[in-house]
Amino acid sequence: MFHLDGKLIDLPPRSRYWYDLIPLSLKPLAARLSALLPRGRVLTSAAQLAAYGADGLGYKNYLPDAVVLPADAEELVRFMRGTKSLGLPVVMRGAGTSLSGGPVAVQGGIIVHTSALRAVREINAEGFWCEVESGVTLNDLDAILKPHGVFYPPDPSSGPVCTLGGNVASNAGGAHCFRYGVTSNYILGVEAVLLDGSVHRFGGPAGGRGPWREDWKRFMIGSEGTLAAFTRFWLRLLPLPEKVWTFRATYPDLRTTESAIHALVAHSSYPAAIEMLDPRGVAMVESSQMACGLPEGSFLLLVEIDGPAALVDARVAPVSEILRQAGALDVMFSEEDTIRKKLWKARKAAGGLLGQLSPSYVVQDAVIPKRALAEVLQLVYDEADAAGIRAVNVFHAGDGNLHPNFLFDSRLPGDLEKVERISKRLMERVIEVGGTLSGEHGIGNDKSGYMPLVFGPDSMRLQLAVPAAFNPAHQMNPLKVFDCRRFAS
Amino acid sequence: MDPEAPSSHFSNCTHCGFCLAVCPTYKLTGDENNSPRGRLRLWSEEAAGRLPPDKWTDFYTEECVGCLACETACPATVPYGEIFERIRHQHVVSHRSQPKMALRLAAAAVAIPSLFNLALLPGRILRQTGLSFHRFLFPGRPPVLKSSAAYAAELMSQRRPTGPRVAFLTGCLMEAMFREINFATIRVLIENNVQVLIPLDQGCCGAFQEHTGLGDPEALGARNRRAFSSLDVDAVVSNSSGCGYALGKSLKPGGSVRDVLGFLGDLGPVRRERAPGDATRVYVDLPCHLVHGQKTPGIPAQVLDATGYRWELAPNSRDCCGSGGVYNIQKPENARAILAAKSAFLNEAEGQPVVLATSNHVCMMQWHSAGATGLVKRAYEVRHVIQLLDPGADFS
Repeated sequence: MFHLDGKLIDLPPRSRYWYDLIPLSLKPLAARLSALLPRGRVLTSAAQLAAYGADGLGYKNYLPDAVVLPADAEELVRFMRGTKSLGLPVVMRGAGTSLSGGPVAVQGGIIVHTSALRAVREINAEGFWCEVESGVTLNDLDAILKPHGVFYPPDPSSGPVCTLGGNVASNAGGAHCFRYGVTSNYILGVEAVLLDGSVHRFGGPAGGRGPWREDWKRFMIGSEGTLAAFTRFWLRLLPLPEKVWTFRATYPDLRTTESAIHALVAHSSYPAAIEMLDPRGVAMVESSQMACGLPEGSFLLLVEIDGPAALVDARVAPVSEILRQAGALDVMFSEEDTIRKKLWKARKAAGGLLGQLSPSYVVQDAVIPKRALAEVLQLVYDEADAAGIRAVNVFHAGDGNLHPNFLFDSRLPGDLEKVERISKRLMERVIEVGGTLSGEHGIGNDKSGYMPLVFGPDSMRLQLAVPAAFNPAHQMNPLKVFDCRRFAS
Repeated sequence: MDPEAPSSHFSNCTHCGFCLAVCPTYKLTGDENNSPRGRLRLWSEEAAGRLPPDKWTDFYTEECVGCLACETACPATVPYGEIFERIRHQHVVSHRSQPKMALRLAAAAVAIPSLFNLALLPGRILRQTGLSFHRFLFPGRPPVLKSSAAYAAELMSQRRPTGPRVAFLTGCLMEAMFREINFATIRVLIENNVQVLIPLDQGCCGAFQEHTGLGDPEALGARNRRAFSSLDVDAVVSNSSGCGYALGKSLKPGGSVRDVLGFLGDLGPVRRERAPGDATRVYVDLPCHLVHGQKTPGIPAQVLDATGYRWELAPNSRDCCGSGGVYNIQKPENARAILAAKSAFLNEAEGQPVVLATSNHVCMMQWHSAGATGLVKRAYEVRHVIQLLDPGADFS
């Protein structure tokens, strides 16, 4: 046995002497990794790897060969410099809350967990930008920015724990992206480490472009860990809205819900967020600690408007009128922070709430033209009912970003296959109506099989050339985004 | 791990990761194994036979503070605390894990309250004389010989309150070492016209056994069910959120336990008046087992208002202070690191004097240690909220 962590396993001094004489390249993986990360942590025992087998899709498990936790950005660079010689896939991981099977070791290899890179290095409130390390969590950033009167708009539901690194890798969205746009709209610059250990800055803070043409940062955003490791970002910030109103409207059926969504979207002063929970989603909220008195058995719309107080106050009556005219059973609205936060907490916990009903679920992330909303949602219910699978819809209605959740039991033979068949039929219909695969979750390994539904052979060949330019052997996060991206050591 | 334990106990965890954000040991180490999601994965893999028993599983299990903040954060309503307690008990029974010797001795002693009271007599004397300098022993003047039961009976016959009747859990450590808080609780209740009964046959609530994985909490629970369930009272109350949480589980189904501050909040307690110009500032920390265990909203604002002091919640008041029952004895380094982050605000806190108030004696011990070990460099007092409502020893 060799020294692993300094706590549980160690060698007596005599053995240690002989062990030190063995060339590093002949030593076990743990020793080689420890040499690259003298201050960080290296996990290699089977019981230390189990937790890293899955991301937010808990039912899919791929055990890595090792997990490393660099102590800081400097150590991450040092690690990347040594990874080529290890001959193993390298998978970056933020908080592992993604729903795409992205930060998991499908082909084995080393997971690099960036939880220690948590510094907010600079806040320039006058210039509306900040510099953060890749392991900073979204809610921590929000709390730090708030006293400065600024905010970072993307707000994926996993905000309490997800990291900026994961957000940039998957070009994350969130409820308020309907008005504010997704992550790529707020990234001024990315510092990335390539497999040779070279550090590159794509873009930078306002006025600072860095050595690369600025638009090249777009290759990094949404690259899902296939190009490089991220150490830090420069983020664009906005002034905090002066006032916010949140509306809660309930509807008896899909048709009336859809007409409310259309009316809201078409309004000249459209909301910041339009979210929908179906009756099953509402029931799960009400049977959890996030219960907030939602009327059961109805479709729920959660709508938010924000901006200068006088302007926003003037919009309250028109928005509630739109919601009512579409056929709402009831409409409630509030500017109270405690009430608003409770509603949002219930909405954003939706993924976890599914655990009340089923041990495993598959969530799709399709984006469709809004005119097809009711039709595609009905297809989800019909297909799921026919297969005896429960489906729950909780999603970003404003931008047509569907999240149908198909619940199944991974311990029952054939259950997952049923869900995969429904998902495929859904995706085919999504493409037919002019939609696409993913709005914000990324492709990962969960949706890579659907890529040929959207992209032709020429497009796939050209897209594959990009990661190949950065790491020809596909050592970074293989078998993600493209099924054929296998690491050949 | 019990091979017969059904893996379905773990199965409603969807791996969403919301628990990571609130877990003190994940925040401390950044290691996902050291989080509720990670531990549940380890335990379920072992239960399903995919992972053999491993010292790292034992290590990460021991690392858990047991604060239950993850239960509040969990949308899937995974009963983490129940699972964790069962696994910890199994690890101790099967010798995969062993609490420190002092805790094993204490666990044996608390099962016999009279023995535990006698064993801690020197501690009461030292605190009474102001000569206790241990980092956990916050200042106080506990009555050395008179028991809380005797005091309650005496005060009841003098004041003859006519309001609601409560049965009061006096606790083990609270009674044996910090008895002055029990006395204050009795005075406050009786001043608020509450009739206080103290069942003499009550025993340890089982919290100590749960924290250590030792002993038989079920046997202790049976004893307390006999002591409390047959009483004709409006409520069973506790002045320690950890003890109240443990006793509450024992009395289920059919019975429940109220935290004494929540109970007083419903009554609207007598307000204490303070001198004009009193610059005292009270920072209130909410014990984990009050908000995450008993799942109450916290300490009622009207109770805190009734203290007559200017008060506010301490920063991150719903987060763990690192006490974790006996966690600060089992894992002192982690407990100190958690406390360091949590207590840093006291160095800059406004007020003269500054009071850190909470409602659990083990949290009070942990908060006192922040000053005693140099984490907090300025003077501050640690008090139970009930002490801030106390009419004083002259009340009779």
